[in-house]
Amino acid sequence: MRTEHGNVAPVLLAKGDGPGELRADVPYQMAMILSRVYPHVPEGRIAVVARRCDEKAIAELSKRDIVDRDRIALIGLACTKEQVAECRCRDPCPETVDLGECSDPVVEDPVVEKVRSMPPEARLAFWTDQFRKCNKCYGCTVNCPVCFCDDCLLEDKTFTVEKGIPPGMAFHVIRSMHLADKCVECGECERSCPVDIPLLALRKMANDDMKELFGYTAGDADRKSPLLTTLEGDPIKEGDVDAC
Amino acid sequence: MSEFSPNILAFCCNWCSYAGADLAGVNRLQMPTNVNVIRVMCSASVKPEYVIKALSQGIDGVLVLGCHIGDCHYLTGNHRTAKRIPLTAKVVEKVGIDPRRIRLDWVSAAEGEKFQQVVTEFVEDIKSIGPNPLREVVF
Repeated sequence: MRTEHGNVAPVLLAKGDGPGELRADVPYQMAMILSRVYPHVPEGRIAVVARRCDEKAIAELSKRDIVDRDRIALIGLACTKEQVAECRCRDPCPETVDLGECSDPVVEDPVVEKVRSMPPEARLAFWTDQFRKCNKCYGCTVNCPVCFCDDCLLEDKTFTVEKGIPPGMAFHVIRSMHLADKCVECGECERSCPVDIPLLALRKMANDDMKELFGYTAGDADRKSPLLTTLEGDPIKEGDVDAC
Repeated sequence: MSEFSPNILAFCCNWCSYAGADLAGVNRLQMPTNVNVIRVMCSASVKPEYVIKALSQGIDGVLVLGCHIGDCHYLTGNHRTAKRIPLTAKVVEKVGIDPRRIRLDWVSAAEGEKFQQVVTEFVEDIKSIGPNPLREVVF
């Protein structure tokens, strides 16, 4: 990361480049930038400055053969206390910390608690109000590190022709369902949302459901998503299954 | 006011449940007529997205019926269904839709009576829950 034109911008350094004045506050999902850069770097290894969420996203990408994990070296960056608080992050500490110091996770999310304590009618009213604000900018999809389908379901007429703008209930619930087994809770969707829909709370609740049903947490490098395996946990034959 | 008559979608797999529904019909088993059957090749081809879309457009309940585990025509198709339909129910619960509006069951080609029983039970359940609130919601 480097300051360019007054903003923090990602920078790719090759051998021999001087690093210049680098910054450690990462306002992007490095995993997302990596998946864009990766196809243009045919060989050699790429080192990525990765926070815990980037690390988990890279694990998800490598499980789905989008990047080769052996070609990536991770430089673990621990988030500061302020950053952790801003993201309401439950898992801020990378596996190996090379930069910075680990902060304590934020265990309780006020929005999640609030929604959980509501009766169903109030919950529906709350989310309807939130989703009414949506102007279908696709910011949550475009900036998501684990959104990688070639043909986005949400651009499919079947699902979004529904009612124009706002896109209705289905848009966000489908996204929530679709990301349930891969969301790494980086909070990028919520940050990029121009109308401040608390999307991170929705993702966290879906992730909790995954954990409750299958004991699976997204970002687990060793275990395939249970939605892509049989009941016994064997992988379903390749080719039968779309990666999404 | 007339009694609430729910509008229900049933996704039936071609190889078991649809044949089971057929058998129920041939045997003249009596059951509520609120169910619209959609024939799909496998219960795994029922994407959760379709279930969510149906609910968001005001359907009162969605039934997903497939072959029993181990009997799937495509070997492991219903394993996927068995995982993702319960997850869908959980996800829709978080936005305030009653998870009982989604039901997954296994009906084989020989189980006409079970089809009758599942449909009757489900229609009763939905009647007790009431109409889908999203039918009234205008975005």
